[in-house]
Amino acid sequence: MTLIERTDDVNSCWRDLADVLKSGISRVLLYGPSGTGKTYAALHHGVGSVPAERLVCTEDLTSGEITGTWMPVGENRWEWREGPAIRAWRGSGGVGGRLVVDEVDRASGDALSTLLAMTDSPESARWRNPETSEWVRPGPQFSVVMTTNVDDLEDIAPSLRDRFPVAICIDRPHCSALASLSDDLRAPALAGSLGPASRRVSLRSFYAFDQLRRHLGTSRAAQLVFGEDAALSVLDALAIAAIA
Amino acid sequence: MRALVHPELVTGREDGFVSAAWTVKPGSTRRGEASCNLTERILEIPLGNDATSRVVRAHELMHARVSPHVIEHYGALDDVSPRALECAEELRINTLIARLDFDVTLLHDGSEKNGARRVAESGDWSEALCFLMAVLSTGGEKEYLAGIRQVEPSWMSGLRAVRKRALALMNALASPTLAATRLNDEQLPSGYANATIVLARLLTQSMNARPPTTPEELRSFRRSLEPGGRRAPTGKFAPLRFDENVTMSLRPRGEGLRRARPSTTGSTMRYPSRLLSDERKRAFARRSTFHGGIVIVDQSGSMDIDEASLSMLLRRAPDALVVGYSHRPGDNGLTPNVWIMADRGSVATTIRSGNIGNGVDGAVLAWALRRRRNTEPIVWVTDGQVTDSHDHPDDGLTLQCAELVRRHRIRLVKELGGAGRALSYSRTTSRSQWREFGRLGRKLLETQAF
Repeated sequence: MTLIERTDDVNSCWRDLADVLKSGISRVLLYGPSGTGKTYAALHHGVGSVPAERLVCTEDLTSGEITGTWMPVGENRWEWREGPAIRAWRGSGGVGGRLVVDEVDRASGDALSTLLAMTDSPESARWRNPETSEWVRPGPQFSVVMTTNVDDLEDIAPSLRDRFPVAICIDRPHCSALASLSDDLRAPALAGSLGPASRRVSLRSFYAFDQLRRHLGTSRAAQLVFGEDAALSVLDALAIAAIA
Repeated sequence: MRALVHPELVTGREDGFVSAAWTVKPGSTRRGEASCNLTERILEIPLGNDATSRVVRAHELMHARVSPHVIEHYGALDDVSPRALECAEELRINTLIARLDFDVTLLHDGSEKNGARRVAESGDWSEALCFLMAVLSTGGEKEYLAGIRQVEPSWMSGLRAVRKRALALMNALASPTLAATRLNDEQLPSGYANATIVLARLLTQSMNARPPTTPEELRSFRRSLEPGGRRAPTGKFAPLRFDENVTMSLRPRGEGLRRARPSTTGSTMRYPSRLLSDERKRAFARRSTFHGGIVIVDQSGSMDIDEASLSMLLRRAPDALVVGYSHRPGDNGLTPNVWIMADRGSVATTIRSGNIGNGVDGAVLAWALRRRRNTEPIVWVTDGQVTDSHDHPDDGLTLQCAELVRRHRIRLVKELGGAGRALSYSRTTSRSQWREFGRLGRKLLETQAF
């Protein structure tokens, strides 16, 4: 069985995402273990020539960091700087672009309310520029992809969740993300994110291990990347995987 | 602190097994307390940081890497003992992890010697063979063999022969071949098919064989382990397996067979000698119509029967029960070895041919005796050869059959054509006729002498 045949099975989540975006669904929630390439896909997949706007949520995120804020531009002069959400609404020439909201489960309070407004349906969403009093609406090609590492969607505010009718669990990296990894590590790297959090080995770890082992040898590279506790177990599993 | 294990990273299978998350449960290094459930992806393993726990984990992870994961991959193996398969697979797994430099001598839990003693004390040669495969090359092997030696030293030569063959079989295959999971033409993982199944077949036939004790038996046993070698003697009959697919149809009844029977009254004194020899003085003859009897037909080898002979028999004895038998040497119960050709008025629509071997002679005779009505005659169509389930002639089994023949006055004939006549005679086969029946005849003469 070739790698391509295998990818038909293991890449179903990525196929789902491609199909959903291709169908014109403009609000998608991607969730699953970290290190599988959710953010990368959200930033690059189905995005035109204009780069996607990215918003990383934290507990301290404010609504100003979402929609915009007054910035001092000289003595007693202030200018309104639009935030990533409004920039994405406008996109290139007002047609709308892509907004990527990372770690959405961490947003709370004021920021969460603003996110609700920004991700509302195209018919309801609108925002007034405090500087020009212009009413801004999302452009026709505006899309928003939220990502989160939660395993259970219950951890996301129901009102926010409701704005995202399609939620896709991304539980493994995209095959194309493995291209520059050594042959023997590709299949384990694809499966490394499948287990519970305590056992997950991210794609980034595999890349680091692959690079380090060329210089430091397998054992030391494993210790440095996976840690003392997991190094032996990971190496045992890799050796057994490579038996045939 | 618990050790980590990464079953998800054990990838590389080519048999359609889809990678997914595993459930890891704490087990132990004791035998039977670690397992790998590929269907539900449950790994039960010791989570200690010691070297033994690590090797046990590697053993279970190797199962996750190479063992069949769907029942269909075992499905074509009805001719192989499940226990033999299980233990042969253990040897394959241990061989593979040893080649990855895991120290398999750590695989022992101290129960091997006592376990071996119990197996030997119960006379379970099959389990002795299978379990040897499970501990072969591990730290438990020496203790296990010591336990067997204490109770059944006569088994040692046979066990050593199987051990040698099993190791040779594994060593002949490189790791990529031994561990291959690509499905072959029979839809079996090829490493499993080339090593585990081959060994399990050898084990299954050796399990059925008699443990070799004499040099000659050992030579025969060793030969049986070689590719294409003849199976070793088992010293026992195979269990009867009736053909359930025989279609019977009612046969027009003939007149049956008239024959004379001794009687205390009558018009002609046919047996004057009985006035002296028979305490009931049945010197007269009474004609009676005879309809039944049991005919047992050995259909092994070249002993074909034709429909004309069967029809002729059934004209004379329309109510006869006629059974054919022949066992496929080494068959594990898959192939029917006995079939009804006529059953008290109905007759099989087709007559099936034999399976080369005898294998069930004594078992069929015993079955026929249980089906016997009153003192109706039993006729055995045989060439006098009695063989075990691997089709080896066997003195003990021949004697067993000879005793049944003598005790129950079973009549012997060489061909089915003579069965009708034999049914009609009131006499059993004479001593002079016994000589025509090979080993069975000789055994009859020997036993008669005592």
